[in-house]
Amino acid sequence: MTNVIPSAETVVIISGFAFIYMLALLRKTLKGKFDLYDFLMLSMVAILPAGFALFPSLAYLISHLTGVVFPFVVMFGALFLVVFVFMHNMTERLHKLEQQNWSLIQEQSLLALELKRQKSRGADT
Amino acid sequence: MITTDLDVADPGPGSAAAQAGQPRILLIIPCYNEEASIGDVLTQIARTGRRYHTLVVDDGSTDATAAVASERSPVARLPQNLGIGGAVQAGIKYAARNAYDFCIQIDGDGQHDPREIDALLDAYQRQSANIIIGSRFIDNAGFRSTRLRRLGSRLIGLTLNNLFAGSRITDPTSGMRLLDRHAIAFFARRYPVDFPEPISLAWAMRAGLRISEAPVEMRARETGVSSIDGLKTVNYMIRVLGYILLARLARQS
Repeated sequence: MTNVIPSAETVVIISGFAFIYMLALLRKTLKGKFDLYDFLMLSMVAILPAGFALFPSLAYLISHLTGVVFPFVVMFGALFLVVFVFMHNMTERLHKLEQQNWSLIQEQSLLALELKRQKSRGADT
Repeated sequence: MITTDLDVADPGPGSAAAQAGQPRILLIIPCYNEEASIGDVLTQIARTGRRYHTLVVDDGSTDATAAVASERSPVARLPQNLGIGGAVQAGIKYAARNAYDFCIQIDGDGQHDPREIDALLDAYQRQSANIIIGSRFIDNAGFRSTRLRRLGSRLIGLTLNNLFAGSRITDPTSGMRLLDRHAIAFFARRYPVDFPEPISLAWAMRAGLRISEAPVEMRARETGVSSIDGLKTVNYMIRVLGYILLARLARQS
């Protein structure tokens, strides 16, 4: 296992980015633009690099356990996995919303037709 | 022949026709920007002498389709364009909720001759089926589309016939079809969004509904152009065959 420790500048830049990015995410979540799940998944873009920079020994241990030579490859692999899971769930949610939208539009038009029919019946009697 | 002398003015579930035990038939006419042809279609339906109930489903048209149609028929106006699947399913839901015995889908572009509806009803009387498709390719008479599209339709038919036992479909993309109560109840719950004509057949067969065909003649569309042409045909074929395969796998799992 190699033990190249990230420089102080790298740790500061990555931690700074993680802090600012997560603050921005938190702000949007509090405003209701994201839910907790979105917040958690999007936070991974900050949490994973920060984790690898702040705890390099953990990064090397994971890369050793997974058999991947370079820790940054493991990090990008993990990020890719998070993005894929996020996209998978988002596609599912979009499809569900599309179906709900489809049904609502149909129901609205059928209700409008029914109302019109009842009105014309009321006018006849 | 199935008697169709119904009271058009009162399509409600408790109508005199329903009480008299006559079958109640709804013609579903999905339309998208068909102001030039929908009036003629409704006139032709009236000229058949059969007093079918009609429902025009205006699929978010930007022209005067709804205004023209509403002079002669109830119109369900979808505020947004859902595509043919969404429009047809809205009509099927209407048929299910108003306890129609049959619903028959015909296009609003004038391709389907309303006089051929009798052929579907007669076929239903003769054959034990839940869905009767009006097929252009049994008698090979009238308008039969381009050679490429006929080839595509044949390939889809072959796939359906080979993957689902007991079917002999020659015109899986025909938009003229009759549904009985079982098929109405089935499709009111779930209807395909993409490529509804062939995929709905796969879903129906997967659910154990029986499908048959009756020979009909169709005409070239009076107005507008088909949305499936050129390279889109290849895309259409690949996706339709994929969906059919999915339907078959879903039955196995």
